[in-house]
Amino acid sequence: MAQADLLERIYFGICAVLAVAGAIGTVSFPNPIRGALSLLFSIVAIAGLYLQLHAPFLAAIQLIVYAGAVVVLFLFVIMLIGPDAVPPKDSRAIVARVGGGIAGTAIGALVILVLARKTFGRIPVAQAGFGSVESIGALLFSDYLVPFEVASFLLMVAIVGAVAVARGKQPDPQAAPKDLQASKELSAGEGEVVK
Amino acid sequence: MIPIPAFLVLAAILFTIGTVGFLVRRNVLVALMSIELMLNAINLTFVAFNRAYPNEHTGQTTSFFVIAIAAAEAAVGLAIVLSFFRLRKTVRSDSADLLKN
Amino acid sequence: MEHASSFAPANNWFLLGLILGLPLYGAFFNGVFGKRFGRGAVRFVGVGTIFVSFLASIYTFMELHKLHHHAEAAAKQAHGASPAELVIPTTKLSWLAWHWMDMAKFGTTDRLPIEVKFSVDQLSGVMLLVVTGVGFLIHLYASSYMAKDPSYHRFFAYLNLFIFSMLTLVLADNLPVLFVGWEGVGACSYLLIGFWFDKTENAAAGRKAFIANRIGDVGMIAGMLIVGYYVGALDWDGINQNSERLLNAERITIIQRAAGPITISMATAACLCFFIGCTGKSAQIPLYVWLPDAMAGPTPVSALIHAATMVTSGVYLICRLNHVFAMSPFAMAVVAVTGAATALFAATIGLVQNDLKKVLAYSTVSQLGFMFLGVGVGAFGMGFFHVFTHAFFKACLFLGAGSVIHAMHARIHDDVKSQDMRFMGGLKKYMPWTFYSMAAATLAISGFPLTAGFFSKDGILFKAFTNRVLHPVAATAQTVLNRPECKDLTLTHCKQASIDYAQHWHAPEWFGPLLFVVGIIAATCTAFYMFRLLFKTFWGEFRGWSVDPAAAIAPDPFKNLEPLEEGVTEYAAGHEAHDGHEHAHTDPHDLIDGDRHDDHHDHHDEDLTVPAAPPHEAPWQMAVPVAILGAFAIFAGWLYAEPFHFEPMGHWLHGVFQTVVGHEVIQVANAAKLEWPLMGPGVLAFAVGAGLAYVWYVRDEERVPKQLVASWPRLHRAAYNKWYVDEIYEATVIGGADALADGAALMDVWIVDGILAKLSALIVSGLGALLRSFQTGVVHVYSGVLAVGTLGLFVFFVRPHPEATVMKEGDTYTLEAAAGTGYEYKWEVEGGEADKDFVTGDQATKRTVQVPLDATRKITLEVKNAFGRTAKQTFTLTNPKPAPVPSMSVQGMPGRPPPRPPAGH
Repeated sequence: MAQADLLERIYFGICAVLAVAGAIGTVSFPNPIRGALSLLFSIVAIAGLYLQLHAPFLAAIQLIVYAGAVVVLFLFVIMLIGPDAVPPKDSRAIVARVGGGIAGTAIGALVILVLARKTFGRIPVAQAGFGSVESIGALLFSDYLVPFEVASFLLMVAIVGAVAVARGKQPDPQAAPKDLQASKELSAGEGEVVK
Repeated sequence: MIPIPAFLVLAAILFTIGTVGFLVRRNVLVALMSIELMLNAINLTFVAFNRAYPNEHTGQTTSFFVIAIAAAEAAVGLAIVLSFFRLRKTVRSDSADLLKN
Repeated sequence: MEHASSFAPANNWFLLGLILGLPLYGAFFNGVFGKRFGRGAVRFVGVGTIFVSFLASIYTFMELHKLHHHAEAAAKQAHGASPAELVIPTTKLSWLAWHWMDMAKFGTTDRLPIEVKFSVDQLSGVMLLVVTGVGFLIHLYASSYMAKDPSYHRFFAYLNLFIFSMLTLVLADNLPVLFVGWEGVGACSYLLIGFWFDKTENAAAGRKAFIANRIGDVGMIAGMLIVGYYVGALDWDGINQNSERLLNAERITIIQRAAGPITISMATAACLCFFIGCTGKSAQIPLYVWLPDAMAGPTPVSALIHAATMVTSGVYLICRLNHVFAMSPFAMAVVAVTGAATALFAATIGLVQNDLKKVLAYSTVSQLGFMFLGVGVGAFGMGFFHVFTHAFFKACLFLGAGSVIHAMHARIHDDVKSQDMRFMGGLKKYMPWTFYSMAAATLAISGFPLTAGFFSKDGILFKAFTNRVLHPVAATAQTVLNRPECKDLTLTHCKQASIDYAQHWHAPEWFGPLLFVVGIIAATCTAFYMFRLLFKTFWGEFRGWSVDPAAAIAPDPFKNLEPLEEGVTEYAAGHEAHDGHEHAHTDPHDLIDGDRHDDHHDHHDEDLTVPAAPPHEAPWQMAVPVAILGAFAIFAGWLYAEPFHFEPMGHWLHGVFQTVVGHEVIQVANAAKLEWPLMGPGVLAFAVGAGLAYVWYVRDEERVPKQLVASWPRLHRAAYNKWYVDEIYEATVIGGADALADGAALMDVWIVDGILAKLSALIVSGLGALLRSFQTGVVHVYSGVLAVGTLGLFVFFVRPHPEATVMKEGDTYTLEAAAGTGYEYKWEVEGGEADKDFVTGDQATKRTVQVPLDATRKITLEVKNAFGRTAKQTFTLTNPKPAPVPSMSVQGMPGRPPPRPPAGH
């Protein structure tokens, strides 16, 4: 066994353990902040695996988008919500949850069973520039131009939608006093009638 | 060389953890994070398969788009969580039961 | 036929479009714009369109006459035969408006075209003139009579629409178009009877008319269907040419009996159906009940629709279909009997009525009975002539009555009492024009010699006495039997003829004389009640002075009228009949028309016990039409003066009835000799009726009638209450319908609503409740269920499914394994080849085996799926011996369950 091979295995092992540990932490910490940080661990580990799979561009994107944006967004939201974000324990819908958990595990186990039996023979040697920024960039702006533009449009819509949803219904600052006055008049009138 | 199935099995494990987390946890935020986890597992699968067939970049480009969509989903999902919290003062998913009966 | 008018060809006489279109335009204009344009415009359009229509009708009639004349001359020249045997072609001006629709001819691929086509021939020409002419006079009358009614425009819209519908009925060239007119006049009649719909009784009278007509229309439609089915034509020419098909069609069995069934021909069935329609429209027993109630409408309506035109359309229809009716002596006899019975029955009711319009209404029913008696004995021409004369004298009487009521209302201000003859009398000196016109019409209707009614009524009675209606086959046999050689019945064809003659039903010998006697009695009654009406209205002293105005609003309108009564009992009995009028008394503002309206307000506080404001003569718009109609009532009879052999009308109509009269309809021997003698009873009837009326009501001042009422109170009460026919109908027909409706309602409530609706609703809501319980609204539950379902799918995929479809082709069996993801297959044929290992690929899924006849082979399929799991199944293939019967089952292999369906995809 060559030394490089061993190193690769060690690297894979570390990344794999980190990813799994982070994933377990994400779903099992009661405190969502800890969950978010565990998710960060997992994401970074997966980025490491991307590097091993000759996908440096994706690894970079993974770090920038997930670690830099998504997890930070999660943290912001968790902080906005505050300690209420931790719901008290109770056992509502426990059957569905346990059953769903078992079913999910079973599905995962079946998938793992299938995948573990799969063989690909010898992994071909990647050409130079496989997964590099240049090659992926060239693809994105040629073959995948339309999906790329659609994705950008989707992101824009998501931004606008997110702002609209999160902002909620704000009272019109100009209409508000008038309404207030009107309702006051109305209530006054009603009062008179009652009198 | 690490055999490709190793990556695939790892991805399956991550996906399973994400699935179980989504199914079991009631915190909407955790559910969203579980979804992110599942998306990451899928991405890992795509990239691993791409490594097995390195003549094209289909897997990696697909992963790229998945990441873009996941970002959008996270943004909108968190916005919904915020407005849900504003409405119900909680992030428990089972308190969103207006569709009951 | 060579003659062509300079105006338009005979087969495209589009002037008919104008004649029809103008009243329709008038109806449209008055209905839509009448209110905006005011009374002047309404009067101008309403009366003017009918007048122009009338002028166009006259021109059309003249052209038709010219055409007829030419055709007659040509026929005479061509044949040179004696006039008696001359067959004159029917002349006709027609106009095809548009093609309406095609009906499938039953049982064939032919189409039966139904066209909106109008035509005018000798028969419809006369009707055309009557409808537009009398219609115009009545429009003119109504323009003054209704002058101050708030709904003036609505009235004229309806009236014009009626003229349009009536013209459609008259001018129609086929049955469906006639039916359009038939229904149209019914609808207009309904609208006009209920014209003052704010009074419940008027609306009820309208409904009654409508419903009675609907009952008749069922018969009409049935008759139309029978004719369409068996004759294969619905237009007049087609029906006339092919009507004998009705006799060749199958027969309907009425009664099954040991001596052979009693059957009727399709001709009889069709005629009876049509006659049911006629009884509805023309107010014959048993559907006459609506006509007296129809007097609730304005008087011009009573004159136009319920006396002169619409109600005679039944007679017109029978004349129109005389070919069909002549095929069935039985149906003819039914028509005649019904007519005679109605004539007598209605006349007896008319004897005792006090309401001016009621008397006239029953008189109309009675006269319609005479008409049906006429057409029923085959005197189509005379029956139709009675339609013609009746239109004049009855319209005159009604319009005169309208003038009288108009005058009375100015004095009495009460809708009911102003029509009551007991408050009239002595009007002769106040309204001379009206008196002379009405007297003329009364003479005519009573059959005073040489007036119109005399000629038509006595003509009918004479024909009733002498005519015989024979079945067409019997009629042909009769002509054979009349030949000199058939004195001896041993000759073959004579014997056959006598058998033919005996086979077909015809009315017995005493039938005609009986009808004659009934007719004479009815005529006597007619003369009596008409003169009673005339004397009570115009003779003596005016009795309207002493009506206490308080009585007009008193709850019991007859309480303080004792001195005027013919008998106390009358009022006890009559009370019910007047119950419906109560609110009319209590609401004096509820008025018949605007003229009275104004008078009423002018005189509201006036003391009417003081002689003042005498009844006045009607304005010229009202008096002139009445006078014209009165003149016609006297002189129109000379158009068909049969006893004097001066009969232009008979000659004119001859073409329409020529094939029937003289063949199926024959006269007894010596009929000509009986003509003058039989006139005797007719004149006697007039003399007795009129004389009795004079003696009782003028000379003796009602002493005898009062005594009679006192002697037979029950009889009088029954006659006064119309022999309780309405009550009997109420109890039987309406009660039965109500009971049926109650039963249906129970059914509806318990079965439809209860079981069907509520039970199914319960099931649905129960199911809904069950399904709703799954909808927790909690995401976890949904996703958990989703996960479990997905797991189920996974489990299905993890299990291998070794399944195959078996296909047989001769002795070769092909098995095709079901596909699945990542499946590998291993086949093993018993005692043959076997795969060493699992293989994949296109060929691996199929295996072909030869199985000899009557042999069995086993083949095993083993599959391995992507999870490495394997499973096997053994197929036993048996090739069965061919069964002795040539039909061979391909798939079914006995002793083995059928192959399972392919799975895995």
